[in-house]
Amino acid sequence: MIELAIAILVTLVALLMAISAKDIIRLLISLELLFAGVFLSLIPLFAKIPETAFAILVIAIFTSGAELLILISAIVIIDKLKRGVEIQKVSAGGDTE
Amino acid sequence: MTVMDLNLLVILIGALALSSAIGSLLTRDNFYSALYMSLAMLFVAGLYAFHDLQPSVVLITLVFVGAVGVVTVAIAATYRAQESRRISFAWALLIAIVSAIFVVRFPSSVSFKVLSDGIGFLSTYLLVVIFLLSMMVLVMLSAIKILKEVGR
Repeated sequence: MIELAIAILVTLVALLMAISAKDIIRLLISLELLFAGVFLSLIPLFAKIPETAFAILVIAIFTSGAELLILISAIVIIDKLKRGVEIQKVSAGGDTE
Repeated sequence: MTVMDLNLLVILIGALALSSAIGSLLTRDNFYSALYMSLAMLFVAGLYAFHDLQPSVVLITLVFVGAVGVVTVAIAATYRAQESRRISFAWALLIAIVSAIFVVRFPSSVSFKVLSDGIGFLSTYLLVVIFLLSMMVLVMLSAIKILKEVGR
């Protein structure tokens, strides 16, 4: 139960970091912290179904690795195209005028 | 140790993980933010270690802190806002001494148990691990290809 409370708090801190990020690096760090919250929330599952929980943990770790690779590529591409990694320079997506 | 002490230990490790996450949020420099993030990951691994989930501790420490954390720290150091500081030789010496003490005093039986657990997991989930590794290599090759095309 304590682990779940800590997981929720860490996730909240990570979400706050994501919405207040000014550059993409900080966004990447906040995503990794979100994964930390996910890992913490998996701990109670080990008490009930340990093998399934471990399989979920392995998949989550590999997912975070793949996410990191994709984000590194995105950061390098944005840096080359926009000459900077600030969030303001990325205008594509839902916030286009 | 009593149950109360163990609960206090969980709360202490959790509070340290949460403090590291808050430190990552509050610091202005990306480099220190990434360092705090790695510290929070280590405390998460510490909570797993508290519950004696040793294969999970090894996976989180090696893959998440060792690979993902270090790469994030390296990227954050590349795109950091402030000038880099010089590392004090006294701190480096202290870290070397503490690391040497840990290496000498670390019980070898723990590492053997972790190794046997890891081998047991690999023999059970060999296909899944190979599949996930192949997916990672595929993503890495795609990323390299995209970067090459953007570089032209």
